[in-house]
Amino acid sequence: MKKKIINSLLFISAGTFFVSCQKDYGNLNSPTVQSFLSNASAADLNNLVTGSESGMRTNSALYLDDVGTIGRESYRFSASEPRYVTDLLGAGSAVLSNSNFYITNTWAARYRVVKNCNTLIQAAKNSTLISPTEKAGYTGFARTIIAYQLLLNLNLTDSNGIRLDVSNPNALGPIVQLIPALNGIQSILDSGKTDLQGATVIFPLSNGFARFSDAAGLLQFNRALSARVEVYLSNWSAALTALSESFYGLNLPFNLGVYSVFGTGSGDQLNPAFIPQDNTGEVRVANPSYAADILTGDDRISKATLRPVASLDGLSSNRDVWVYTSSTAPMAIIRNEELILIYAEANIQLNNLPQAVVALNVIRAGHNLPVYSGTVSQPSLINEMLYERRYSLFMEGHRWIDVRRYNLLGSLPIDRPGDDVWTEFPLPVSEQ
Amino acid sequence: MRKNKFITALLLLIAWMPLVSMAQLKPITGTIQDGKGHPIFGASIIILGTTQGTVTDESGKFKLNAPDNGTLVITSTGYKSQVLKLTGSSELKIDMQEDIGRLDEVVVTGLSTTIKRRNLANSVTTINATQLNGVAPSQTFDQALNGKIPGATINANTGAPGGGESVKLRGVTSVYGNTQPLYVVDGVFVDNTSTSAGLNFITLAASGGALTSNQDNPSGRISDINAEDIENVEILKGASAAAIYGSRASGGVIIITTKKGKAGRTHITFSQDLGFIKVSKLLGVRQFTAQTAAGLSNDSLTGLKYAYEFDTAKTNGKLYDYEKEIFGNTGFARNTLVSVSGGNEKTTFYLSAGVKDETGIVKNTGYRNTSLRFNIDHHISDNVRIGISTNYLNTGADRGFSGNDNAGVTLGIALSSTPQFTQLHPDQYGNYPNNPFAASNPLQTIALMKNHEGVNRFITGIGLEAVFQRSEKSITKFIGGGGFDFYSLQTNVLFPSELQFQSVNKGTSVQGFTNNLNINFITSLVNTYTASKDLTLTTSAGFTQEDGNYNNILDAATQVISGQSNIDQAGSLTATQFRAQFQNQGIYVQEEASIIESITATAGVRFDRSSNNGDATKFYVYPKAGLSWNLTHSGLLDPNGFFSNFKLRAAYGEANNTPAYGSKFTSMNVSNIGGLPGSLIGLQEGQPNIEPERQSEFETGIDFSVLNGALNFELTYYKKNIYNFLMLSNPPSSSGFSTRWLNAGDLRNQGVELSLNARPVTTRNIVWNTTLNFWLNRSLVTRLIIPPTPQGSFGYVLGSYQIQQGASATQILGLSPTGIVKWGDAEPIFQMNSYNEITFQNKISLRFLLHWKNGGQNVNLTNLENDFGGTSADWDAQTIQKGVPNGAYRISQVGTSAQEFVQNSGYVKLREIGLYYSFSTTSGNFVKGLRLGVSMTNFFVWTKYTSYDPEVSNFGTGFSSGVDVDPYPATKRADFHISLDF
Repeated sequence: MKKKIINSLLFISAGTFFVSCQKDYGNLNSPTVQSFLSNASAADLNNLVTGSESGMRTNSALYLDDVGTIGRESYRFSASEPRYVTDLLGAGSAVLSNSNFYITNTWAARYRVVKNCNTLIQAAKNSTLISPTEKAGYTGFARTIIAYQLLLNLNLTDSNGIRLDVSNPNALGPIVQLIPALNGIQSILDSGKTDLQGATVIFPLSNGFARFSDAAGLLQFNRALSARVEVYLSNWSAALTALSESFYGLNLPFNLGVYSVFGTGSGDQLNPAFIPQDNTGEVRVANPSYAADILTGDDRISKATLRPVASLDGLSSNRDVWVYTSSTAPMAIIRNEELILIYAEANIQLNNLPQAVVALNVIRAGHNLPVYSGTVSQPSLINEMLYERRYSLFMEGHRWIDVRRYNLLGSLPIDRPGDDVWTEFPLPVSEQ
Repeated sequence: MRKNKFITALLLLIAWMPLVSMAQLKPITGTIQDGKGHPIFGASIIILGTTQGTVTDESGKFKLNAPDNGTLVITSTGYKSQVLKLTGSSELKIDMQEDIGRLDEVVVTGLSTTIKRRNLANSVTTINATQLNGVAPSQTFDQALNGKIPGATINANTGAPGGGESVKLRGVTSVYGNTQPLYVVDGVFVDNTSTSAGLNFITLAASGGALTSNQDNPSGRISDINAEDIENVEILKGASAAAIYGSRASGGVIIITTKKGKAGRTHITFSQDLGFIKVSKLLGVRQFTAQTAAGLSNDSLTGLKYAYEFDTAKTNGKLYDYEKEIFGNTGFARNTLVSVSGGNEKTTFYLSAGVKDETGIVKNTGYRNTSLRFNIDHHISDNVRIGISTNYLNTGADRGFSGNDNAGVTLGIALSSTPQFTQLHPDQYGNYPNNPFAASNPLQTIALMKNHEGVNRFITGIGLEAVFQRSEKSITKFIGGGGFDFYSLQTNVLFPSELQFQSVNKGTSVQGFTNNLNINFITSLVNTYTASKDLTLTTSAGFTQEDGNYNNILDAATQVISGQSNIDQAGSLTATQFRAQFQNQGIYVQEEASIIESITATAGVRFDRSSNNGDATKFYVYPKAGLSWNLTHSGLLDPNGFFSNFKLRAAYGEANNTPAYGSKFTSMNVSNIGGLPGSLIGLQEGQPNIEPERQSEFETGIDFSVLNGALNFELTYYKKNIYNFLMLSNPPSSSGFSTRWLNAGDLRNQGVELSLNARPVTTRNIVWNTTLNFWLNRSLVTRLIIPPTPQGSFGYVLGSYQIQQGASATQILGLSPTGIVKWGDAEPIFQMNSYNEITFQNKISLRFLLHWKNGGQNVNLTNLENDFGGTSADWDAQTIQKGVPNGAYRISQVGTSAQEFVQNSGYVKLREIGLYYSFSTTSGNFVKGLRLGVSMTNFFVWTKYTSYDPEVSNFGTGFSSGVDVDPYPATKRADFHISLDF
């Protein structure tokens, strides 16, 4: 009898033990995706907005070096990394590899932001703690950023395409070719536009969005990006329409626009594109053609300042790239100077040549150059427009894409015998 | 909850106590001797079927109250146990027989049951105190295991003070998961985490800007345990023996039992070791000429400058051997231990206090260990026994600065490019010049830097054993046990601003604070039912719980104010925190049947769940079974014939390895902008459904003794399958992730272990005991659902591990002129060891341990670094290819073939040798005994390996061991010992 009691007591105590002590500690070190997806608060969603904005800066200097080096704007000399001057410039038999940092790192960083924005969209959708217009604000921001990040990757891989649909990591969409991809990016921007119309923005953004941090401002930002995509698609009228809804203005400051900003705060980043002038070891210098080709008096020479000659592997230059002048200098995402040039380009292509000349003269006047006095014809104005783009947008990630669009890659200088000018990067090995 | 259960159990016990019946008792006395007339101290005498008993005093005498017709069981470590039927005589004289094959040794087989080695179904290695620590001292406990476990590959990761050993039992059991065994000290599951001090912040060994990496070479926390306190170590090498430990047993289990007191006179032992430590080997440095000095630069002007510098240095007698200056110092070691033990029949105790202080071969490095232990065992009544073991440890290691780095700052890397003619010594004011050949001046680094690990640790275990039911045929015991292991670890890394390489950071201080608490307990019921003389059934059941809570804060400050290390005395601060917490729970049932004392059949099952698994509530089932058949005991073979003992055995078991903490989550990293807090998705995709790695092991063997027990053989074959081993795969990065956890495949280890115990010589004056072991292991990846994946190391150019279906898990591939080929395998072809003890006239004892590792390859990059730096001793020799200096030749192989870097790391080491002389004095004297000894550790090493030591691991205790990148060189030591008994 007693034994029975004991046995049952033990049994009961064992039973209680196993029912009551069931533990799952969760993640103790950081929030998880899962936690954001289950009824996120506005504060949670704001963290995702900030993380997305912040993440756009990761490997941004590498992107500029990729585009700048192949587009013969700059050289990147590094004591520990020879591939900037071998692979990117096609030295000897070197080619672009599908597994090297110059494509894999920047590609992954952009898709990481896309993933973060997709999480933001899903989290906002699942949240019951915000209003529909507030949801639209988050979604509109996220879609705009997604489109921008996808565009940067497409700029690198060009005809090799990108993946547009990456919302499910276990069932990724197909690789989409250049034109459909550009169209896809445009339609993401368009749905972002739809979201932002009538949206309420309750999230804070950094000073990089200073004048564009409300719904109206974000809409202008969205349209500015849209204008860039339309130009890439040669949809010239659509580009002008998009411009009209953006912050474009012939009389507005060239630098008006949206930026990535940098800071020394905890968890923040310093501008990775900043290298002090006259530095040794780690060096970013202007391609000699920058100074050689510039017009007399053009104040944009100040973007490449004189330095003691730096040389590596048969390359040399006596000018530092001096666009990012401190470790906290901002980096443009899109700004009015580009929009004015888009206005000019679209009008040239639409044969509205006088309007184009007006816009080009605004740029020239802003850079201490006399008014345009060349032939007013489409070919001449295209050359003039490409010159202005080259110097106005120096080391902002445009030159290579511009000469590629106009099939002028062959016009880029070859600095060493046997160097190559690449058309595009291969898709990273993990995508194949 | 937990408390309640203990109280319930205690109440039950108290309720049962009066029911235990008492028999009619009569006093008896006796003497126990070893057959040569020497009394045996501490032999245990138990009345069969009870827990009543006593132990002998120094003169081998005992007193006991026993029933008239009772049976006594007499056991003593190292002797065959005896069963003695009382015949009415009250004065007994018993001669014990030595147990060379240790068949009567009791081995732990369940969580609360034991079995004699004679009846074991597994091959379980036991290391006793003499083997562990009595030949030569080791700095740390983990080092003391090296070379002593057949079936294990033990490898010192570094020669740095404070240890850091990788222990792999029966092959690699995981690629990304834990490969190390579980350590259990007196029932407490102790932590063996290696916590990085944040050196990666300075070395940049792993890119990406993280504070820590797996190349920081911290010590494992098992090194804290004081080896001198250990009575014996049992090693369960795989799931077939360890299944009952469930989800943490896949790497095997190492069960440590510390010393206990013995009833009788109080013994006081004082022992003192004094020794010195030297580098095992130096690589030597290149002897330059003006011409070769000029050759260090491609630029002719710079070359002329170097030639001039060389000539000047030579003229002034200022050519230095910096390697010798840095690694050629002598470290001094002292180790003091005082122990007091004794007690009476009810209560015994063991108290010890030890202080160890050793300096390293690099200045300003060293190791200290202070240990205080108090073990107490008490019989509350004849039926209830309680044991408590407590241990306080304070350890400190100054580990220097070595290993891989991308900043040119560790001692070895700086040295690799520093030629003998450059001047690094401080001027008369103590200022060091900058090293023009490297980013750092290693002499300055040694003088000014700090890399310290300091630990305060408490380990306490409690065991309770209570008989609460007893009848003629059945005894039921409650066995409960558990304890906690708590430590606080502080790491202190300081690189002051004066250092050459701190010109940008202006001083770096990385301060780490770690608290770890492990708690575990087991409660179980064990019933022994003696159905008849020929059948005994032991049933045990119980539950276990293990909790772990780890919290690490690492703060890295730069722009540190001169002379300060506090992180607030700095211009910039990066803070990180990592926490991990788990709970494992298990229920187990085990049945053991002993049939005619010759067949032992065991079957058990454990149900386990862990908070680290994808589904924390899901129970995983781990069965085990074993069968042993002793042919001599069962009468099939005549024990007095050729075989004095013959046993067949087979065992099967399953265990697993829980996923790493956090692998089921997709974490969000902090990423801020403009003062706003941001969350950015982590690069590693979590797997909510992640499954543990599962292991099944089958082992079988034959144990036999011939020549009346003088030769004892153990032959074992095992096959161990690991299913669903975890890997990090690389999904398309457009998913937003660069890595993803995956249960990627299966792998298999199989091997053999042969062991021979013998006494080749036994005369009146000389006794020679020897143990010879041979073992080998082969692994094979049998299934892999992802493409072949390179692992660890630095790629094919230099030699890389690669997980690949149909290949050995530890193969090393590399470039060759014909493509990627296999250049080696970390797995040795075989290993052998031999432990010997030769005793002369019972006074002089010579002991030594030989260890032979035949084959196995390392990736040796230390020599390549020296080649790159132009400083390798044989740079100018032309022994590889005529007309081409060796250095130039080897550099030319980079990018062509990795053959030069994948090197055979086999060796023969006389790991330990010691000679001891014992004086015993008559019992009247105050000093009862005196022992003097000398020992040498790793003094004799035969190897063709060209770097410092074949034992090395730049990546610590993980999967990819044996990668050699400028480690802290291995050391050898010699000690003098004196020990006094009072």
